[in-house]
Amino acid sequence: MKMLLQAASLAALLIAAMPSATAQDADYTRKGADTCLSCHEDEVTLAVFRGKHAVPSDSRGPFGHGQLQCEACHGPGGAHAGRVRRGQERPPVILFGSDSATPIDEQNGMCLDCHESDVGFSWHSGAHPSDEVACADCHDSHVARDAVLQTATQPDVCFDCHQIQRTETRKAFAHPIMEGKMDCVGCHSMHSDTVATQLARGNVNDTCQQCHAEKRGPFLWEHAPVSEDCGLCHAPHGSNHAGMLTKRAPLLCQSCHSQSGHPSIPQDADGLAAGAPSRFLLGQSCLNCHSQVHGSNHPSGSKLMR
Amino acid sequence: MQRKLTATLVIGSFALVSAAQAQAVDTSEWVCEYCPFEEGHRADYAAGATNVDEDSAYFGNATGYDEEGTYANIDGDGTYAGAQTRLRWHAEDLGLDSRVVELDGRLPGSLDFNLGYRELPWRQFNTTATIFEQSSDGSLSLPSGWVRAPLTSGMTALDSSLVASNIESDRSIFDLGASFSASDNWRFSMDYRRQDQDGSKIVGGSSFNQASLLPMPFDYVTDEIDIAVRYGAGNGFVALGWYLSDFSNDNAALTWEQPFSFDPLIGNDTFAIAQAPSSQFQQVSVQAGYSFVEQKTVVSFSAAIGDIDQDSSLLPYTVTDSITTSPLPRTRLDGSVDTTNFALAVTSRAIDKGRIKFSYRYDERDNQTSQDLWNRVIVDTFATTDVEANIPYSFERSSLSLSADYDLLDTVRVSGGYDRKDIDRDFQEVAEQTEDTGWGRLRWQPTSALEMDIRGGASERDIDRYNEVFAVSVGQNPLLRKYNLAYRYRQFGDISLSLSGEEVSVTLNALYADDEYTDSEVGITSGEELRIAADLNWAMSENASLYLTAGFEDIESEQVGSEAFSAPDWSATHDDDFTTVGMGFRLRNIAEKVDVQMDYMRSDGASEIIVDSANDGLSEFPELESVLDYLRFRLSYRQSERLELNLNLLYQRFEAENWSLEGVTPAAIPEVLSLGARPYDDEVFMIGVGFMYRAGADTE
Repeated sequence: MKMLLQAASLAALLIAAMPSATAQDADYTRKGADTCLSCHEDEVTLAVFRGKHAVPSDSRGPFGHGQLQCEACHGPGGAHAGRVRRGQERPPVILFGSDSATPIDEQNGMCLDCHESDVGFSWHSGAHPSDEVACADCHDSHVARDAVLQTATQPDVCFDCHQIQRTETRKAFAHPIMEGKMDCVGCHSMHSDTVATQLARGNVNDTCQQCHAEKRGPFLWEHAPVSEDCGLCHAPHGSNHAGMLTKRAPLLCQSCHSQSGHPSIPQDADGLAAGAPSRFLLGQSCLNCHSQVHGSNHPSGSKLMR
Repeated sequence: MQRKLTATLVIGSFALVSAAQAQAVDTSEWVCEYCPFEEGHRADYAAGATNVDEDSAYFGNATGYDEEGTYANIDGDGTYAGAQTRLRWHAEDLGLDSRVVELDGRLPGSLDFNLGYRELPWRQFNTTATIFEQSSDGSLSLPSGWVRAPLTSGMTALDSSLVASNIESDRSIFDLGASFSASDNWRFSMDYRRQDQDGSKIVGGSSFNQASLLPMPFDYVTDEIDIAVRYGAGNGFVALGWYLSDFSNDNAALTWEQPFSFDPLIGNDTFAIAQAPSSQFQQVSVQAGYSFVEQKTVVSFSAAIGDIDQDSSLLPYTVTDSITTSPLPRTRLDGSVDTTNFALAVTSRAIDKGRIKFSYRYDERDNQTSQDLWNRVIVDTFATTDVEANIPYSFERSSLSLSADYDLLDTVRVSGGYDRKDIDRDFQEVAEQTEDTGWGRLRWQPTSALEMDIRGGASERDIDRYNEVFAVSVGQNPLLRKYNLAYRYRQFGDISLSLSGEEVSVTLNALYADDEYTDSEVGITSGEELRIAADLNWAMSENASLYLTAGFEDIESEQVGSEAFSAPDWSATHDDDFTTVGMGFRLRNIAEKVDVQMDYMRSDGASEIIVDSANDGLSEFPELESVLDYLRFRLSYRQSERLELNLNLLYQRFEAENWSLEGVTPAAIPEVLSLGARPYDDEVFMIGVGFMYRAGADTE
């Protein structure tokens, strides 16, 4: 704890020592949103008033008292709203999305001006900004409910780019993402890259154990790969095999267990129900007896059978 | 005292930079008279009924539609906007076991909050049956008249004793969160979550040479608290956090009566298995970041230290009274694991047209649980004189990554990177392991409508040495190389292609990886995977759109074993294929009244396993196959601006060929009394009718 506090104090001192950004003069419109709405009265534009960004009682929001309204996000619009000569292109304002002419860094910078506290600085080192993903590629501020913030609709937003992950979630055994009952942020923190693969917590196991805490232990008798990484046996996006296992037991277990006797004996199709039904192959396979594969707290559980 | 001093230093430092930025814009005339701000209530209320024509655990899983019958559906979304208050609520599937209720909003004083409650049903099997009767304490007993036998074929009362017993559980999740911004700089947040899960799961209970698959009742509660305080000023921030996860399970053990004949020398017929112990995980963390604007460089940092404690009472060595055991070395585990996470990332765009990224992560699990010698009783039946020490596994992982991008041309960006991973482990065959990865990437974007991205690289995972002496001491074949500890050479590549026009967009993603475990004589020797996914979207008009999706995966591995416990004498191939296609269309505003939506998906998973052994020759398993068909049709008719009528039709079929369950009746395996779960063969047709009413503010 002391170490962390000291680290925090150093960070704070660093912040204190640095100059902060200054507000820049710019050519804003004369009447703010009223200027904008005199031309932009379409459904998409007006939908911003259904969402969180257009709440006059929110002093920090774009439409709070003294705030810059539309121009808080779209930048100074004075030139855009001003007169232009016939044939002259109207000076643009900041527009959002990958198909916008506004550079993505500039778009994202507008969002981060207010949302830095939401996404943190680790956003900058993540995969999304490297791949030039705009905030507006995932978020829509001109709607009552942003699809990427709803459990049922969020995965479809992510799957627009992460199609391979979508394919995996369609496998026979997967988390209930296709059913709309689980979202990507349950496991991933897409604004952060201080942990591998943008996980919600510090590592794979801490992330899984948010919901599967019964597998956390520590157990008296641990199973080494379980303590290290759930992903050594499980494919969290989906699998052809029950329990989202990476492969079928007993071969999965025999990848690491070669002890003399039944662990090293190959189980072939002769052991199926129609032949000589094998207790090492059918039902739960190895787990018919070694059911405590995630660890056992039984004093006689060293073989994970108790 | 020192801690107080440090905290004071932190807060004092923040105060130095808390001056707010002045806005130079005069907004005094920005009255926003044309702004249609939300006021009062606005809500969509939906209600209806859905009929399901068959029982189905597979389709009932997560959705709650697990039984034949008619379900009432109530859903809704709403908002309330007051002078100082804004609320939003959401209700979903209130008539089902997958119901969701959420409320969030902002209260006066910049207090944001959220409340949520959701249920998640887990339905694994509805084809299972058991002979066991569950007592009030959760123990499983045999039915009266049960006839024990050494093999399941001799259990003459089996058929008459079987009672249907679904394997299922229900999870409820309660969320409460709040955040408060005391100023532009300070923000406090708190999140609490309680998950309550109860039901049954399959657990194998073994005895001498036999096992029973048990429908184990369980009841877990997990509480999580996440508290953070954050300070941001200028171009930086720092945050402190505390996280608690408390897992509670009041059932220390599952006891069951042995259905097989027991050894009369032992004289006991009740066995016990441990359930998951209660545990607690606490973590304190600090995060910080700073943006060096002029240098176009951002630094972010995070660190966390945690502690997992588990001190549940231990069960006795055995519940068999006739076996005399030595005293337990200790009656509670007194288990403790220290965790440390650390990460530093620096991203700089100081170079014109270029970007450099550096990151370092450290992750440690240090199991402090003390070791003792334990005198095992084998499956509550055989006392041993051997002693074993518990092994507290620990590891340290670090990962260093360095990469650079450069815009070679306006349309071409080249990237390259190097990653290094180190893992040090205790009590395992490999103490030190490293992995070096190098990669290159080319991104080509000749127009805003076309983009292609190609990446390729290779990695080499190496180890200091595979400790065969240790491997032999735990009974392993010294030729085995566990796949996560083995030397591995990997080649990989991926490609993505995106073509987007005004009406049509096409995207393709593919990745390939090839693994060679060249030092592994026993264990996994090679692996290969190919994953491809593609989309086509066509906006035919403002009110009509169509999509196609497709995905394919091939994941294959080869492994080698030794039945003779010496040189390799058998091998196996495990090949998973998966293909999925989806298509659908949307038609909106037909005659300005009707919306139509149709979605179809077919997913086909197939797994082949071939075993080739010196003793028994080549053996090919029947293909494991699972086919899912999904067809949904929705029609909405707008009766008025406020009232909409809905029709939903859904057809789903899931059929699995699964040899591990096929024909495995409760008595099929001589030494295993199973629950008789059958492979899924579910076909469900659902029809739903309902309405949605828009209340509140005028509709447009």
